[in-house]
Amino acid sequence: MISIDGLRKSYGEQVVLDGLDLQVDRGERVAVLGLNGAGKTTLLQCLLGLIGFEGSVTVDGQQAGPAGKEARRRIGYVPQRPPVFDMTVSAFLHLFSDLRDAPVEPATERMAEFGLPPDEVGEKQMSALSGGMLQKTLLALALGAEVPVLLLDEPTASLDPSSRREFVRVLEGVDEDRTILFATHRLEDVESLANRVILIHGGGVVFDGTLKDLWERSGVGGELWVQVPASRQEAAVALLRDRGSVRGAAEDGGGGIRVELAPGGAMDALGALRDRGVEVEDFRALSPALDEVMDRLLSARSVGAEKRDTG
Amino acid sequence: MTALRLLQRELRDSLRNYWFAVSSGVLVVGGLLLMLFGQPDQAILGYRGFARALAGLMQLALFVVPLLALFPAVSALAGERELGTLDYLLAQPVTRDEVFAGKWTGVGAAVSLAVLAGFGATGLVAVVRGVPPVMVVVLLGFTLLLGVCFVSLGIWISSLLSTRARATSAGLTVWLFFLAMGSLGLAGAFVGWGVPASVLEVWAFVNPVEAYRLASIAVLDPGVSVLGPVGADLLERLGRGPLIALALASLAAWTGIGYWAGRRAFAAPVR
Repeated sequence: MISIDGLRKSYGEQVVLDGLDLQVDRGERVAVLGLNGAGKTTLLQCLLGLIGFEGSVTVDGQQAGPAGKEARRRIGYVPQRPPVFDMTVSAFLHLFSDLRDAPVEPATERMAEFGLPPDEVGEKQMSALSGGMLQKTLLALALGAEVPVLLLDEPTASLDPSSRREFVRVLEGVDEDRTILFATHRLEDVESLANRVILIHGGGVVFDGTLKDLWERSGVGGELWVQVPASRQEAAVALLRDRGSVRGAAEDGGGGIRVELAPGGAMDALGALRDRGVEVEDFRALSPALDEVMDRLLSARSVGAEKRDTG
Repeated sequence: MTALRLLQRELRDSLRNYWFAVSSGVLVVGGLLLMLFGQPDQAILGYRGFARALAGLMQLALFVVPLLALFPAVSALAGERELGTLDYLLAQPVTRDEVFAGKWTGVGAAVSLAVLAGFGATGLVAVVRGVPPVMVVVLLGFTLLLGVCFVSLGIWISSLLSTRARATSAGLTVWLFFLAMGSLGLAGAFVGWGVPASVLEVWAFVNPVEAYRLASIAVLDPGVSVLGPVGADLLERLGRGPLIALALASLAAWTGIGYWAGRRAFAAPVR
């Protein structure tokens, strides 16, 4: 569905994308990760033809790029900050459906499905909608036009938690044959939406796999919060510290124990407590921050590269 | 279809701008005052009768129409860029050329409508009071060309700048520069700085405001006192027809240059 070969984009001396290759099949949900400035947004801009580039990029067989009108016809786009046009929601839907040579009715039907019935919001100015409502309006427009590809640039970054959950719920319901490529910094978005993760660094894709693979490769295991009877806390901490799957354990001062885990260590830690007869009254898995996972993976890569250079 | 929808949107947005109502109103009210309360039997600035009233209208248009055109034109791209709506628009199945053409034609149509409304009302009164209709139509045509010329210049500016405020400042600077370097400026340059007459004559055609003034006066009532020394010299050397033709060619050239350069600048990020 999306085919990228040797994509290169630079701004003056600064090379942002340097020969990036990527193939995305129909129906894949790909999270594009990377540190700030890694080129996530640049990649999306190239697909949309908002900027010029070197290399070959096709979307559904159509050449993408500044002249790639037919490629853009196949793409629905939801930017990080939704555009606020000086017009009503209804006028917006009509104008942009017309630009796609698509009827407006499917978009308005989607609006109703998303909890934005056109008879209630249609005559409102776009500036009167919340960020979440705007994002859903853009999504309704894209889905109404039957585009096979959705490009989302950190779509939940500017939303409050409630709007974010709602928007992710809407995205989870998108037909399975649509391809979604989205840039994000949020682990929750990746967990909810992605079946594939790519990590961009140094102008290319340095990781391509599942989220689980990413965690394992990074060596970040996450954390566990465990509550045991107060009388057994000290013993439980000592027990956990002896486990190979545990990198560290300490009382948190509030009646619980925070356990830093090696990858895949949660079940081993809980099993060890159970085997020693320590009653686990409550526990929660604390996911590592996505930035930490990326940092660890990239650090490991640079150390590996240094070793190769010096070895 | 695409360009037409973009044109419609731009036309609608431009006409909703209060600036159009204000500047069209100034043209209507100012023009009508000149027509209704002018004193045909007196000579002012070398004009007599209807020609004097139309010349007054031309002087009014010379100030108002470039501004009327520049304000919406400079905002057309820079304003959308600032709001973040331009990238979303360009992410649709449209080309940059279509967006640029839609902006240009939309703003151009809105400015032309405003000029027609402002000038038309005055022109009707002028015709009723005995002014030959052909003279009103010719002056209206020149004024429409002046408006379209400044739409092109404004959109060129808009394609280069990223915020509405910067684009508006640049537009005002251009307007002031062309006004200041009109007939009085030329005379000042001739006397004060000793600029050669040949340079000033070329400049009289290069400056679209001065070109509009020369063409309009040459049609209405060419007289040395109102053409200014440079204009009078040009009239004597070129004759009335070639002077008008050159002046109109200048306006048309600026229209084309503004469109071409603006379109090129607008396409620059994707080259």
